[in-house]
Amino acid sequence: MIKYTDDEIAQRLREAKPLPPDLAKRLQKMRSKRGHWELNLDFTAPSGHRYRLIIRQNKFNHLDFSVILALYPHAGGQIFRLRRYNGKHPHRNILEKTNFYDYHIHTATEKYQAQGAAEDAYAEPSSDFYDLHSALQSLLADCNFQSLDAQQPGLF
Amino acid sequence: MQPDLVEQDFRQKVCAAVSLTQEGLNRFRVFNPFLFDDGDQLCIFLKKEDHSWVISDEGHTYMHLSYQLDEKDYQQGTRVKIIENALSLFSVKDREGELILPVEDNQFGDSLFSFVQALLKIMDITFLTRERVRSTFYEDFQGLVSETVPEDRRTFRWHDPQRDPHALYPVDCRINESPSPLFIFAVQNDEQVRDATITLHQFERWNLAYRSLAIFEDQESINRKVLARFTDIAEKQFSSLLGENRSRISTYLQKIVN
Repeated sequence: MIKYTDDEIAQRLREAKPLPPDLAKRLQKMRSKRGHWELNLDFTAPSGHRYRLIIRQNKFNHLDFSVILALYPHAGGQIFRLRRYNGKHPHRNILEKTNFYDYHIHTATEKYQAQGAAEDAYAEPSSDFYDLHSALQSLLADCNFQSLDAQQPGLF
Repeated sequence: MQPDLVEQDFRQKVCAAVSLTQEGLNRFRVFNPFLFDDGDQLCIFLKKEDHSWVISDEGHTYMHLSYQLDEKDYQQGTRVKIIENALSLFSVKDREGELILPVEDNQFGDSLFSFVQALLKIMDITFLTRERVRSTFYEDFQGLVSETVPEDRRTFRWHDPQRDPHALYPVDCRINESPSPLFIFAVQNDEQVRDATITLHQFERWNLAYRSLAIFEDQESINRKVLARFTDIAEKQFSSLLGENRSRISTYLQKIVN
């Protein structure tokens, strides 16, 4: 089932989003979970769309992390992952039959939703980041996060 | 089709899809053909610990689950039961969130197969949406009652046809033909507990002769005030359908029926 078309996904990625306040401080206080550290931040864009920033860092392997931008569907139900910046592990694009072992970015696509796969099952390797912090910076830049407070200092 | 050629092809393809790459001292990544539903490969490592080898996911599986589920969703209820069963069935241990399987007697291949099966079974819980988990609980409840109470002694989703023709005050199951019927409520959340409370108060107003039983999916998850109000009016409660409670509930129902 297609929840969001490629155009809608692109619109959500492009729209301005508020930079979560105290993000650097919150990153220092990620919650300890089973085998990983985690932080979830909910926020609403000026458009009214509700999002969640999902941040994970594996405790056993520093190359294993995840920074996700997810959307709360208007109709309710499970969150929809628009973009995911992953650490280094093997990935296969099932429909394109391509494999790689690298840092990579998952993107939601209409094509994979139509096949009943996870919405963000398509991914491309990336050399833009190498750890959790640089992955987060990449996502914030790529997904149009903006500081609504002119006095807010840089993130890191 | 020549079976021997197909078999040869199977062997070549399957064997070629498994390989090791050293990443650290006595630590190898196991490349494999098994994928999560998002195309990421199962993260599997072979590590030497205290002179013996273990297969490990280095904590990745639970982290992957956490992309879609809150920790509380897979650490309680139906999902945790599925995880515990998968770990137990394939002798995989949960070491502070890291899933590991010690390799015994140099059975590396067997251990890898068991480990992969455990991980895939665990990841299946992502297909259990909250709605499906609810229905699993209700199905479990129906199954237990059906096993214990003869068909002509039970009615699921009962309501009083005379006083309540529009089924405003339903009961999940009515055990009849006893001096006073037993009304059973299978409850999973605050809203259902509130509904059951209202229903029992209504039955009191109607002066019905009955006994009542509540079976919770997870009583600890119910709001304390909501639970307190329900406790005042409900006769008997079981905190969950899991573990030894199943036999306790069966015994209780058998006594009622007999």
